[in-house]
Amino acid sequence: MAGVAATHRNLSALHRALGETLPRAVHPGAWWGWALSLAVVASLTTNPLIHLLLIAVLTLVVTARRGDSPFARALRYYVFLGVFVIAVRVVLHVLVGLKFGSVELIRLPTIDLPSWAAGIVLGGTIYLEGLLRAVAEGLRLATIIICVGAANALANPKRLLRAFPAALHDIGTALVVAVSVAPQLAESVVRVMRARRLRGDHRTGLRGLKHIAIPVLHDTLERSIHLAASMDSRGYGRRDASDPRSERVTTALTFAGLILAMLGLYGVFVTVGFSLWSWPLLAAGLALSYAGLRRAGRAVRRTAYRPDPWRAPEWLTLGCGLVAVAAILLTRRLSPEGLILPLEPLGWPALPLLTLAGLLVATVPAFLTPEPRTSRTAPRTREAFV
Amino acid sequence: MSLVELRDVTVTYGDAISGELAATPTLRDVNLGIEEGELVLVIGPTGSGKSTLLGLLGAQVPHFTGGQVDGTVLVDGRDLREHRPRDLSDIVGVVGQNPLAGFVTDTVEEELAYAMEQMGLPPAVMRKRVEETLDLLGIAELRHANLRDLSGGQQQRVAIGSVLTAHPRLLVLDEPTSALDPTGAEDVLAAISRLVHDLGVTVVVAEHRIERVIHLADSIIEVTGDGTVRHDDPARIMADAAIAPPIVHLSRLLGLDPVPLSIRDARRAMRRVPLPAHASVADRGAVLAGPSVTGPRAIEAKGLIVRYGEVTAVSDVSVRFEAGTVSVIMGRNGSGKSSLLWALQGSGVRTSGDVRTGDGTDPADLPPPERRRAVTLVPQSAGDLLYLETVDQECAQSDEESGAAPGTCAALLEQMVPGIDPQTHPRDLSEGQRLALVLAVQLTGEPPVVMLDEPTRGLDYAAKDSLRAEVRRMAAAGQCVIISTHDVEFAAGVADRVLVMAEGEIVADGPRHEILVSSPAFAPQVGKILAPAPWLTVDEVREALDG
Amino acid sequence: MAEVSTMAGRRASRRGAPAPARLVPVSARATVSILLVSAVGAASFLWPLFIAPGSTLDDVATAPLILAALLPLFLVVVLAEISRGGFDVKAIAMLGVLTAVGAVLRPLGAGTAGLETVFFLLILAGRVYGPGFGFVLGATTLLGSALLTGGVGPWLPFQIMASAWVGLGAGLLPRARGKVEVALLVAYGVLAGVLYGITMNFSFWPFIVGLDNQLSYIAGAPVLENLHRFVVYTVTTSLGWDIGRALTNGVAIVLIGPAVLSALRRIARRAAFGQVSAADRASPNHAAAGRGAPDRPAPDRTGDHDYRQ
Repeated sequence: MAGVAATHRNLSALHRALGETLPRAVHPGAWWGWALSLAVVASLTTNPLIHLLLIAVLTLVVTARRGDSPFARALRYYVFLGVFVIAVRVVLHVLVGLKFGSVELIRLPTIDLPSWAAGIVLGGTIYLEGLLRAVAEGLRLATIIICVGAANALANPKRLLRAFPAALHDIGTALVVAVSVAPQLAESVVRVMRARRLRGDHRTGLRGLKHIAIPVLHDTLERSIHLAASMDSRGYGRRDASDPRSERVTTALTFAGLILAMLGLYGVFVTVGFSLWSWPLLAAGLALSYAGLRRAGRAVRRTAYRPDPWRAPEWLTLGCGLVAVAAILLTRRLSPEGLILPLEPLGWPALPLLTLAGLLVATVPAFLTPEPRTSRTAPRTREAFV
Repeated sequence: MSLVELRDVTVTYGDAISGELAATPTLRDVNLGIEEGELVLVIGPTGSGKSTLLGLLGAQVPHFTGGQVDGTVLVDGRDLREHRPRDLSDIVGVVGQNPLAGFVTDTVEEELAYAMEQMGLPPAVMRKRVEETLDLLGIAELRHANLRDLSGGQQQRVAIGSVLTAHPRLLVLDEPTSALDPTGAEDVLAAISRLVHDLGVTVVVAEHRIERVIHLADSIIEVTGDGTVRHDDPARIMADAAIAPPIVHLSRLLGLDPVPLSIRDARRAMRRVPLPAHASVADRGAVLAGPSVTGPRAIEAKGLIVRYGEVTAVSDVSVRFEAGTVSVIMGRNGSGKSSLLWALQGSGVRTSGDVRTGDGTDPADLPPPERRRAVTLVPQSAGDLLYLETVDQECAQSDEESGAAPGTCAALLEQMVPGIDPQTHPRDLSEGQRLALVLAVQLTGEPPVVMLDEPTRGLDYAAKDSLRAEVRRMAAAGQCVIISTHDVEFAAGVADRVLVMAEGEIVADGPRHEILVSSPAFAPQVGKILAPAPWLTVDEVREALDG
Repeated sequence: MAEVSTMAGRRASRRGAPAPARLVPVSARATVSILLVSAVGAASFLWPLFIAPGSTLDDVATAPLILAALLPLFLVVVLAEISRGGFDVKAIAMLGVLTAVGAVLRPLGAGTAGLETVFFLLILAGRVYGPGFGFVLGATTLLGSALLTGGVGPWLPFQIMASAWVGLGAGLLPRARGKVEVALLVAYGVLAGVLYGITMNFSFWPFIVGLDNQLSYIAGAPVLENLHRFVVYTVTTSLGWDIGRALTNGVAIVLIGPAVLSALRRIARRAAFGQVSAADRASPNHAAAGRGAPDRPAPDRTGDHDYRQ
């Protein structure tokens, strides 16, 4: 007990050192950065042990730091999807996989397909090695999917929309509108379906659909006019006057960037090995485009109410993800054999310590970021609304 | 200098495709000035250009709607034809009829901050103004609530707050209470009056139900049918305005001068007026008895219970409605009125109980097309029933659905609201016309029982009058009409019998005079003014005077 | 206002199909950026056909992941370019509500073989409101529905790209009216349904099949051979879905297409899309919308390109 108390005390001290003791949501961008870093880690290895550890890390952090929005419960669907991907891989291996290995599991009859089907051979002998490889490959993809799922669960998509760059303000607003209108739509579908029965209509299927869809669509479209008027009169779309010269600079930046980035991307695809010039070209192109975007966004003079701050916990979260990536890249340089599942000869996968350390660092956000603001931790305004 | 000034303003709309301008202007030669701190009420029949006038003040006309504006519109010295609505958000705040349709975000706080975000105010200012506005409108406890979960009155107050945070000098409200129940309307009006009296905000408000707002107004702008505008003292406008609340009609009937605009003033003025022979208590009994309410059973419920999960909407109601009568069900929002109607019709949820129509069948057992011919219900959002392209098609479809001779529905519609172009899109009709179309569609099968759920929402006085006439005609033809409404004036004019519901039970049931005269909440204006005399409507008083 | 639009609406409906409303004008700049980014998009779908063996991306897990991370960056650039100078606020509201409709429709068809219910609305809206609107709506619909239902995944950027193409194409269809228009849209709907499926298959192919079986792509092999493998993969795994999607599009457009088209056009008239500028042009001598403020960009006018250059 004393140990627990001491740990707790230490954690509080660390929180204070980070300057964050109040519950608040960590910037969604930080969570996405962290989760995508872990996805990169997953993509760099076929070692199932590392993948299982990664999934454990993701689950730990998600359970510790998700809020109470419905999205926060989304992780399990991504896990289901991951299991499905593994299953597809296994089935494909059994049916059309290139069979190899020495440990024979089961002997299936083979069927030769005609040449129009690329001369594929169905079935054949299944070996343990081949099957394990299919599972490991599937697990790698599943882990990547679960990484994205974790980002979904941790970062409230509504807050993510608020973090859209200024140049995408319009698109972001359309999405904000969509997110708030969609539930109302569902309600009006229910209402119209009820009303249909009053007219003595009980048709179902696509013909019935028309009688529901059309009134709902009319309602929705009319709502868009009201909405536009309301947004307009509340100052939506105010912007500063722009001068043609600065516009031309913006255009030049954006397009030069786009073209450079495309050349870079082309290089990445056609060069053998790690291409020294393509990646920097791609990065430089994107950077130029973004400079253009920022300039374009400057005309929109708008501020955010209760903006999500980017402070120490955000840097910490992102940093932990990047440390994990650095660790696995280093491992790849020093002892690449630890990152693959040894199949020929079959062996138990190694557990490279450096990568393990990186994964441990990746769990840090579970303890050192502020707690999310939920109905439990929010200051109460009135009992009825808790 | 006035805060708002219109000089020789004429508005003409153009065709959406060709850009040709219409032959007759919607507003013509408008000259008016609105002083700082005034509350101005805009009245006029549907389609008179009220909305256009309000739109001019927020610069939606012509920037948002198109059309051509001649003359000068100045708000706070700015010429509005040169400023788009978005550049005026710190001067003019505009609130529409349907608050939910105008919300961009989904929580109260974010919605309040929205206008300020667009103006680029610093976060600290935003926080402060949001707090102030929450308190000002009495919605502080709702700050984190989802906008969809609020009641209509709360939503409208949030909508007002969402433009107030930009600190406009002029607030333009287009029928802010027309879609609200009386309690919600009260809350909104109280908030508006606080803005005018405590903050000195100038308010221009259009309203169908003049009686709700008239006692707050400093002046009235009357938009007449031909596009001209009159701006004057409330009492002077009300002396001869084409549309007026019952209190004004009563005053005109009794020759009161000046016209009283509140119940209190009217009662005081009445002391000087000798009332006709009503006063004898002996006569009251005769008036009270009202028309006879005994007739053959049209529909009857026994032990009716409606539950949605945990919530009981209708609890153990037994009630019988006779043919040839009009019954009005009143009560708060959520008192179970709609659930009762839906359960009676047979399409809604019925947890237990028994419903029988005149011929002894249970409407819930009938297939929907036949059910519709036995008991018909016009729901609250009547437009949900329409899905075709033209009025003509809707009518033809209805004839087919109910097995009536072709042209039946169109004839019914023509009888209710003459002169609707059959090629019009149903969505382009006015509220009153659309309701008439839905009524015609639903009445085509000549159902013995007709139920209307909140039919008067958004209707102006003229449309309500024609609805009342139609309902009385149905009753005279032997149909049983059941109406749920909040509108006491309408109920007073149309009902034979009034039922009051609360918490799913019927708490009062009797002839309209018995129920409406005695109730503080449900008494119409005339009833309140003339109490204890038993008259409820101006027509009744006129009859008594003549007879 | 209602009374006037009634009039306008009636008159216009007699006249037949109006020209597309061009709710989102596409400047020359934006057209070029759409083309460039479409090229990037095409590359990120078709890379297995031409990738060099041994390049950094020759890996079934890395390549889709990196492309899924890069594609959104390109999409951001093109969307920002289209919306530069500001959309008409009516276009934003329309985008918002139609995205919501799409997001609500999408789960309805999920799970049922290929019953993809989003596309027909996207096609009709693109048809009525023009290619720019179609492109943006295609992007926002998929993004919005993913945000609402928690369906953000590595596949999302590819879906956004492909459905933006579907909307763009619908806006570029030639003019027609009445039955011919419906037939045209049905044909496009079927075609778009199949093509969308094939495009998405390209992005899933390396991801789901991996490198270790007979359906996998072979880096450096002749394009035709890889295509052959891809066709076999498509036929064996997803063609049923694609045909289902194509049929859904076709049937939905036949059944409710005309009604939806007229609803979309009616609102375009009622909301006076583009009418403001028409009124300006009709009355050069009168002070009308936007005049007298030349220092302000007026995004509610069409053709912002020449306006500001």
